[in-house]
Amino acid sequence: MSEELHRNFTVLRSKADPAPYFLAYEVTEEDFHGVSATLGAVTGNGQSKSRRLDVCVRVGTPQLDNYHRVRGERAQFTSGAPLTFEDQPAAIKHRIWLETDRAYRLAAQRLIKIRTNAEVKVAEEDASSDFSSEEPAERVAATRHAQFPTGQWTARVRKLSAKFSDYPEILTSSVAVLYEDETKYFVNSEGSRLQFGRGFARVIVSAQAKAMDGADLETNETFEASDPGGLPGDAEISHAVDRVARNLKALLLAPEAEPFAGPAIFSGRAAAVFFHEIFGHRVEGHRQKDEAEGQTFTKSAGSPVLPDFLSVIFDPARKKVGGIELNGWYTYDDEGVAARPVTVVDDGVLKAFLMSRSPISGFDHSNGHGRRQPGYEVVARQSNLLVESKRAVPGARLRAMLIEEIKRQNKAYGLYFEDVTGGVTNTGRQGVQAFKVVPILVYKVYPDGRPDELIRGADIVGTPLASFGKIVATSDKPEVFNGYCGAESGSVPVSAVSPAILVSEIEIEKRSKSQDRPPLLPFPTQTGVE
Amino acid sequence: MRRLKCVPLVALIASIALAQTSGDTLLRAMRDELERSRGLKMLALEAPYFIEYTIEDADSFEAAATLGGLLSVRHDRFRVPEINVRVGDPKFDNTDYLGSPHAGAHYDIARFPIENSYEALRRDLWLATDSAYKGAVEAIARKRAALKNIAVSEPLDDFAPAPPLKKVLEIRHVPLDEDAWSARVRSLSAIFEAYPALRASSVEVHAVASAHYYMNSEGTEVRIPEHLIFLLARAEAQAPDGMLLHDAVVFHALDFGRMPSEAELRRGVTALAADVTAVAGAPRGDEYTGPVLFEGRAAAQLFAEVLGGNLALTRRPVADPGRSNFLTRVSELQGRQGARILPEWMDVVDDPAQKEWQGRPLFGSYEVDREGMAPVPLTLVEKGVLKTFLLTRQPMPGFAGSNGRARLPGAFGANAGAISNLFVRASETSPAPELKRKLIEICKQRGKPYGVLVRRLDFPSSASVAEIRRLLGENRQDGGHMVSSPVLAYRIYPDGREELVRDLRFRGLDARSLKDILAAGDDNNVFEFLNNDAPLALIGGASFVAESSVIAPSVLVDDLDLRPGEEELPKLPVVPPPDLETGPK
Repeated sequence: MSEELHRNFTVLRSKADPAPYFLAYEVTEEDFHGVSATLGAVTGNGQSKSRRLDVCVRVGTPQLDNYHRVRGERAQFTSGAPLTFEDQPAAIKHRIWLETDRAYRLAAQRLIKIRTNAEVKVAEEDASSDFSSEEPAERVAATRHAQFPTGQWTARVRKLSAKFSDYPEILTSSVAVLYEDETKYFVNSEGSRLQFGRGFARVIVSAQAKAMDGADLETNETFEASDPGGLPGDAEISHAVDRVARNLKALLLAPEAEPFAGPAIFSGRAAAVFFHEIFGHRVEGHRQKDEAEGQTFTKSAGSPVLPDFLSVIFDPARKKVGGIELNGWYTYDDEGVAARPVTVVDDGVLKAFLMSRSPISGFDHSNGHGRRQPGYEVVARQSNLLVESKRAVPGARLRAMLIEEIKRQNKAYGLYFEDVTGGVTNTGRQGVQAFKVVPILVYKVYPDGRPDELIRGADIVGTPLASFGKIVATSDKPEVFNGYCGAESGSVPVSAVSPAILVSEIEIEKRSKSQDRPPLLPFPTQTGVE
Repeated sequence: MRRLKCVPLVALIASIALAQTSGDTLLRAMRDELERSRGLKMLALEAPYFIEYTIEDADSFEAAATLGGLLSVRHDRFRVPEINVRVGDPKFDNTDYLGSPHAGAHYDIARFPIENSYEALRRDLWLATDSAYKGAVEAIARKRAALKNIAVSEPLDDFAPAPPLKKVLEIRHVPLDEDAWSARVRSLSAIFEAYPALRASSVEVHAVASAHYYMNSEGTEVRIPEHLIFLLARAEAQAPDGMLLHDAVVFHALDFGRMPSEAELRRGVTALAADVTAVAGAPRGDEYTGPVLFEGRAAAQLFAEVLGGNLALTRRPVADPGRSNFLTRVSELQGRQGARILPEWMDVVDDPAQKEWQGRPLFGSYEVDREGMAPVPLTLVEKGVLKTFLLTRQPMPGFAGSNGRARLPGAFGANAGAISNLFVRASETSPAPELKRKLIEICKQRGKPYGVLVRRLDFPSSASVAEIRRLLGENRQDGGHMVSSPVLAYRIYPDGREELVRDLRFRGLDARSLKDILAAGDDNNVFEFLNNDAPLALIGGASFVAESSVIAPSVLVDDLDLRPGEEELPKLPVVPPPDLETGPK
């Protein structure tokens, strides 16, 4: 890689017009294993190994180059080309050469367009450069390869998935385990030379059913660890299978939610997703300079954006919280910048944005959040989001506060969001600056001491600025939500950690649902496996 | 007495059937769920009149390499179910209708169990049948509504009858030495290192051992072992003017043990590297009208594409009013049965039952088609006259029943006909070298400076998807059928000298051109390929393939037009290629 980088960069610099000023190669090696089962029968058992190459060529100058953002237009130069996974220099060099040529042509073409555009359009608000200067990094860590015991896991998922046979009302279900050993190799023309990696092990338990009115219902639980050895034992997963099945069964019988606005508690996991969607995506640096973006917080640096008892830290260097492994940690980002904690909100005041090497007004440097999935261009992305609270009360007290709030507002009930699948948020200027979080388990909480009542089909909707002001207090126990986040630069592993939060008002709406009836014939075999 | 006699007989038959298939949980789960699904009925709506289950139970292996390094190695075990339900009756059912895609009921059956758990198999078949039934009920309602607004001139039935077939064969798979194939692919890909003019190259092997299960509500029950292995090598070079040129070579077998020897594979890959290098260094061809000699493999490719591709018929579906209703491909021979389409000294037979020819296994043989029909040999062209087509259970104007040629999935609930082993025979032949002399003679008579000889066509196409898209666009503008281009084309001068030229394309080459065959050689060229429904049967262009072969003599065809391409050429890379010899071997 280094040899080919040097050779291509030298020749391009001397012969090409426009000449590149920066060249970087990132190779992502993925060693994947996975096995899944349903009702005691294996449905998939596979493994694969691959390497993909991402090329970054910058032509022009750091002030104005081919990556310059033009009104929401997404520049795409890299292709994530497949590369041999064997250490065969001829094959590697040849592919790097071809990809460099391909990316260079696109880069040169776009720079010429941008230069023309810059002369035609009105001056952009944010006149910051296109590329920051960073210190080169050099570190080659020995690659670790954890073993994935395929045989053992095959037997385990077979056994664990068979437990769903006890629930004939569940239409489909699965228990899957995946392990991906990832190694990244990074070199650039500034002298960076890195090799680093980590593993991603995951157990996914999921089940789906259809209510009599056609609504599709799903429940799931996941476990994450960086090493397959860190995944839980059978007893713990078995409990998860039971919870997933029982919750789904309860949802099938639960009444449909009605539109409602009133006080609610988000469990720590639900609050974590809430912050990731509603807050996290709006502090991603590149959005602040894109004129097509909503720029909710662009001019808020130094101003309060959250209640003063809340702080938000993004810490990709943190590997665990309360014994639970985080999915969003890494040692270097995809631009070879070392991971570090970034306090984005301190006591309610916005201090920083998540930065890649694309500077924005007032923030000239990367803070190690330039991330991507192979084949996509890097943008600023979230890592491990940590919400810290100075108004933390025990869970029981928080619940009592909710009841007080329900009474104060004279509402029939409040809501408790126990678990959510994820959400979507629109940060663009076209369309409404709104978010939607999709809860799985929502309970009505009555002020008169009646037991909580599960409801289904509720989506949380709102607008970001209005929602933050309504956070009243938090619990004292952080919970972890591990997942994968999809955005411009593809899917990246992330975590969000938050205590439960009490909000004085939240709005839910009815979820759109399928009109199909449940299956016409009953489950074909009511008695167990043959 | 009769009754008593009868009972043991029935019991005996039942016990034989059980003995054949007991132990096959998959077959049992299919049979039981299919039987139960006959009772599907929604409110006042009709019950299914036909249900079919197809399951491909496959074990696949793939390995790919470039320049001596493996790119990917994959082993997959999977079962792919395909479930079709027809409601209405054979005269009018839910198929052959182009409407908005029905919502159906969607269940999350991402992966079908690969283990034989009766419960899990039944569960997935149950949900898939439920979904297919609901889709069928919705489609027939919409089709009826659409027909209220359109007049159909000649209504055809929607489904032709077929006799039930029981063919449950033992599944015995030959193991594949995956490590040996990975090593072979790696070592074959290293051959290209010696050809620095090549810009890109790859070698890949695909092997699938599967059990094909088919069952329908008419009593057909099929279980057949199937094997397919093929090795594909691709190469691309850039000419000094920037033009990109590519070609591929593929070796196939229906039996893992009958692939060509390693030496033969090496020869084939080396020839590919040398040919592509030579083509990139050749001058560009120019406009030409006149006789073209298709020699060797090119002749079989010509028949595979221009004749074979037009022997299946398609129907224009019932469409919602106002919806554009065009077919991507209509046979050029549609409606021409009884007409002469080849010289009267030529015959064409499609024979899927024949397994070997002159000691060589035939690649297009099969036992049962996608609709559970056993095919029989078929004379398609007799003394130059078109007799029949490759038919499925979808009735066509003038043809009511299937002849067992449903080999690929078709559109709107139908299957598509495709060739198997296509024998193109000539009763008047000349020794093959004589054809070249004839070509020169004609050119001399007409005062042409040279004639054109084609030794290889790019069929099935080895183009990139981007290139195919561009060709499709160009063709739409020309309003013509897209046809493959020559890869190896030569100018033949009056003194017999051959000059390789690049970048020639046919203009107006179609099924009618075959009437202008002037002469055929006494040679028999075998060409094997994987047919699919992608344009130019693009290699890897579709997931369903039909193994096919064509056996044909070289042919001299009169009055063909060739012209060079007109598109803009890419630039040469700024940086010269890396020196590949530096790496360890």
